Amino acid sequence: MKRAASQLLLLVAKDLRIEARGRQTVGLLVVLGLLIVAVLGLGLGGTAAAGFGAPVVLWVAYLFAGVLCFEKTMAVERSDGALAGLMIAPMDRGTIYVAKLLSNLTLMAAVALVITPAGVIFFSFDLSAAPGTFVLVMALGIVGFAAIGTLFAALVSSTRLQGGLLAMMAFPVALPLVIASTQMLIHRFRDGQPIEGGALGILVAFDAIFLTVSWLAFEWVLEP
Amino acid sequence: MGARTVKALQANFIRGFWLLVALLFVADLALLKTYTPTERTMGPIQMIFYLHLPVAINTFLACLTAFIASLFYLWQRSAWWDDLASAAARVAVQLCAVVLATGMAWGRGAWGVWWTWSPRLTFSLILFLLYVVYLVLRSSIEGRQRRAAIAAIYCVIAFLDVPLVWLSARLIPDIHPGSIGLEPTMKLTLAAWFVPVTLMTIGLVIARFMLNQRETQAARLAGGMP
Amino acid sequence: MTGTFSISASFPAAIETAGLGKWIDDRPILRDVHLTIGRGEYVGLLGGNGAGKTTLLRILSTLIPPGSGRLSVAGCELPRMASKARAHVGLVTHQSMLYRDLTARENLEFFAKLHGVRHASQRVEEILQRVGMSARADDLVKTFSRGMTQRISIARAIVHEPDVLLADEPFAGLDESAAAAVEELLAELNAAGRTILLVNHDVEQTLRLVRRVVVLRVGRDRGIASMT
Repeated sequence: MKRAASQLLLLVAKDLRIEARGRQTVGLLVVLGLLIVAVLGLGLGGTAAAGFGAPVVLWVAYLFAGVLCFEKTMAVERSDGALAGLMIAPMDRGTIYVAKLLSNLTLMAAVALVITPAGVIFFSFDLSAAPGTFVLVMALGIVGFAAIGTLFAALVSSTRLQGGLLAMMAFPVALPLVIASTQMLIHRFRDGQPIEGGALGILVAFDAIFLTVSWLAFEWVLEP
Repeated sequence: MGARTVKALQANFIRGFWLLVALLFVADLALLKTYTPTERTMGPIQMIFYLHLPVAINTFLACLTAFIASLFYLWQRSAWWDDLASAAARVAVQLCAVVLATGMAWGRGAWGVWWTWSPRLTFSLILFLLYVVYLVLRSSIEGRQRRAAIAAIYCVIAFLDVPLVWLSARLIPDIHPGSIGLEPTMKLTLAAWFVPVTLMTIGLVIARFMLNQRETQAARLAGGMP
Repeated sequence: MTGTFSISASFPAAIETAGLGKWIDDRPILRDVHLTIGRGEYVGLLGGNGAGKTTLLRILSTLIPPGSGRLSVAGCELPRMASKARAHVGLVTHQSMLYRDLTARENLEFFAKLHGVRHASQRVEEILQRVGMSARADDLVKTFSRGMTQRISIARAIVHEPDVLLADEPFAGLDESAAAAVEELLAELNAAGRTILLVNHDVEQTLRLVRRVVVLRVGRDRGIASMT
């Protein structure tokens, strides 16, 4: 157990060091996210109703930025066969998954830190009523999306495939996250209702189920 | 019995089977015209429900079949399970298209709009998308083992997602709540419609499965030669 | 030569397979392979294109599981004892399995720590010297020539002191002097007691380097041809 933890740290540190070394990933994702939010903001105009479109617009930005992020972090492993090097090391393959997931979440957090305020501001979305709720809901959503996105990126990167395949796989599966979180936020901020247990339950269930399934898939199905 | 006789018997059985299904559909249509009462609030368009619901249930059963077959493939790694999963998913997409079409027609007839983001329609749409992605995924990957493994994982995840899609779709406010009180005659009609629809689903899955099997065998023969 | 290499467990053969088979995508890549390689041997594996040499090495290195038959590497039965076997096996292929955006030293320390090597930095320093790359240790791998990358790749493969080294086309893309350096390195490793199984398409070069040759024939059983 302790061995796994230290290997995990080793892997995540390695990923973050590579990203920090001028791969420009975070910069690119932030700019992409900002552009998406800006385009949608322009398109939807400045109506009051559009204000509550912020969660969905942010989701669109997260979905596209996320898919790119997952592709890039997996490409690092595939480019010179480094993943094979990890697979013949004495470690659980599930650890590789958790490490990739944590690296992806770290990058997504950095990106979210910039584009979420931008979205909230562009759409004049008043968070003062329950800022903690907002952060929690979006965080649960991103964790769930990264859970399946990391797995799918690993699957899709193992073959010579066209681009867009990862987005195609990840978007429909992630829809419950989008629906549950936006519905919950709209009810909380527009209608002033308290948080619904049902919607929150969906987010938590999604995260729990797919973190487990993805971990298992790495243990049993990953191909070099 | 010679092989030719067996083949002839098989072909006759298949013909007979589909003839029976067709006859049952015709009988059910007759049932609608004569026996089944028209629903009060929505009028004749409501009759599409008798097709819609059985097809919807069978879609779910096809998805379940694909899920179980995918799990077995991941465990046994035998092409048999992969062929079954692929066949079931394909039929699920076809049936789901019917569910969407009948759902939209029903909405158009009853409330005048082709589309609403009601829980049921939204759920059908997302289900359709989930399994269409499965089919596109399969056609995008070369190499049978890789394709089968990736498709199987995706299929497992998609099916586990279905209850979550259902629950989250129910969060969407529904302006046209559509629960229908069913009189005994209506229940009987519904049961009558279930039979040909279910038989048709099973037939379609098996037909597609056999096609997949033939293709897999052909590929194996082609590959095994030095 | 710093001969700190020690033989861990006592096992009869470094590599032993019986009736090993592997199907990939409905094609039999390996069929009924019988192979015995003793400890400390330097063996070349030859065979035509598509004979399955790369697949065999991938199975031996625990990268992919065997299909059928029996197999043991460094005394560990595969696939049951795969994680134990990994401590005893190193793999070099034409892909470097390194991270371009890290330095040579960072790469080696990463893999050393992953394998649980004690005193990792010291070991890495030793190995860098052994492969003659101490001067470039703190340069990014992406700045290296193919020959230098391959030397670091070999360093990565032996950083955990495996008993068995599997080399799949290690000379691919190398010029004469780089290839000579790699040849020398492999010979040293073997002299220190490591078992080496070399896959190489250049028959002459292989015959020059190894002490025994085995041949994998396309789509058929293996035949063994031994030589001086």
